[in-house]
Amino acid sequence: MIRKPGRVLGALIVLAIVLASLCAPLLSSQNPNASGDDMLSPASAAHWFGTDDLGRDVFTRVLYGGRVSLLIGVGAACIACGVGVPAGLLAGYAKGWLSVGMVQLIDLFIAMPGLVLALVITVVVGPTLWNLMLVLGLVQWPGIARLVRGQVLALRDTPFVEAAQALGGSVGWILFRHIWPNIARVVAAQFAVAISVAIFTSASLSFLGLGLPPPTPDWGSMVQGGFDGLAFNPWLCLGPGAAVSLTIFGFYAMGRSVE
Amino acid sequence: MIGFILRRMLLLLPNLVLLTFVMFAVMTSWFGSPATMMLGRDATAEAVADMDRRYGFDQPVLVQYARWIGHAATGDFGRSFASQQTVAALLAPAVPVTLELSLAAILLAFAAAVSVNSLTIARRVITPMVTAASILGVTVPNFMLGATLIYLFAIRLRLLPTTGWVPWQQGVGPHVLHLLLPVITLCAFYTSAFSMVYRAEYRATARLLFVCVAQAKGLSETRVSFRHILPNAVLPVITQAGLSLGQLVGGAVVTETVFSIPGVGRLLVAAIGSSDYPLILAITMMILTAVALANLLADLLYARVNPLVRI
Repeated sequence: MIRKPGRVLGALIVLAIVLASLCAPLLSSQNPNASGDDMLSPASAAHWFGTDDLGRDVFTRVLYGGRVSLLIGVGAACIACGVGVPAGLLAGYAKGWLSVGMVQLIDLFIAMPGLVLALVITVVVGPTLWNLMLVLGLVQWPGIARLVRGQVLALRDTPFVEAAQALGGSVGWILFRHIWPNIARVVAAQFAVAISVAIFTSASLSFLGLGLPPPTPDWGSMVQGGFDGLAFNPWLCLGPGAAVSLTIFGFYAMGRSVE
Repeated sequence: MIGFILRRMLLLLPNLVLLTFVMFAVMTSWFGSPATMMLGRDATAEAVADMDRRYGFDQPVLVQYARWIGHAATGDFGRSFASQQTVAALLAPAVPVTLELSLAAILLAFAAAVSVNSLTIARRVITPMVTAASILGVTVPNFMLGATLIYLFAIRLRLLPTTGWVPWQQGVGPHVLHLLLPVITLCAFYTSAFSMVYRAEYRATARLLFVCVAQAKGLSETRVSFRHILPNAVLPVITQAGLSLGQLVGGAVVTETVFSIPGVGRLLVAAIGSSDYPLILAITMMILTAVALANLLADLLYARVNPLVRI
């Protein structure tokens, strides 16, 4: 752990962001959805990032915006792993048509434009919290499945797996007692990357106007809302943008340890 | 080689049919009739039923899919629901814009990643900078990078135009100036991704015996790097480029929206905004097909430079 400073840095950033969004009521005394009288006021001591077009405090909204993003990110990563890991185990361990079919399916979906698919499917099913988690999780399963498959392939012919097979172990027992413990670390790292990708995509969706409906504080739609005011108060747009970038960076660094 | 191309193409067709059919079914029937989407949730049942009949949404998915493909094959993608223009007429001016933006971004990313990581001068200074930039490149979303670049270069420094698009016909200079920030925004992610892949491969290749021989013969560092290591380390970048094409389209949608570029991506976002179902369907189908074809192209290119995979 200590030998990988990137991971530690990522974990610290993630911890700080989780704390900041959970303790938002302690860090800011203002209501994220309460509109005030001074609209579009510049950054000041009272409003660190200024106020938006409805007079809401942008800094407070950035703090609260973390809750939705983290929830969607973790939920989507759980769904992606829930589908991707069994699919990868199957594709790697099975032989014959089942394996060929799974690999074909993974290859078919892996190069597909995740953001475009998520965009169009969200339009059809409607942008609710559950739907966003499902869509952002499902567009990520092929990547996880391919990673797991590669890991299983490397382990399938090792002596300890052959020994387990020789003992007459069932497929489930071999996969979960012998193969899974050896790939759990890799999957855990990929779980963090999946969270970062889900947050990236969900922020892009809400920037394009397909996030959770207002007034939920949401980083992507805040960037969109502040974009036209870039010239007179850059914080309106770049503040929430920096928050989402930092979150994505934190999870990414946790998963992919920096060289 | 010809056998390989034919095999790959034969595989492409069923894949493409499966993909587009699933997407078609998702959009037209699995989650309810598109009529509800176009007329709004408050529409009366009669209005929805009437539209279902008029547009054929009440027929089985397979029939609708076959009819849509049949029309699309002749270049007829239907009529936009919002503007009543044909979808083909709306798409025609948008496609070249998106192609130019995406191609420029991916070529620039490829050239930048390969050349910067092959440089032998000042490697001690450049390497950590490239590492830092790579991490930023894959973690900062396009909309944030675009907004930051606009703020810095267009609003603060007043060097470049903020947003918009000027066609070639109205002057090459303004065209390139308007293209500069969007291309940088779009290519940042790919430069970083390619850079990571290329660097790992470059290091592995640099340890091989033939590099040692080249150095022992007294060739200059630059010549060894660019003429001997580069051609052998560049292959995985081509694979990576093929795999990234899908993401490139997603990035183009966001980038075009940020910079108000009249490409396919912004057309899609506008179509979504106005619930223009025929347009959304046509663009989605087109993107799926284009990505599948581009993947095939990347595979063929890879086979062309690496004879081992042709078997």
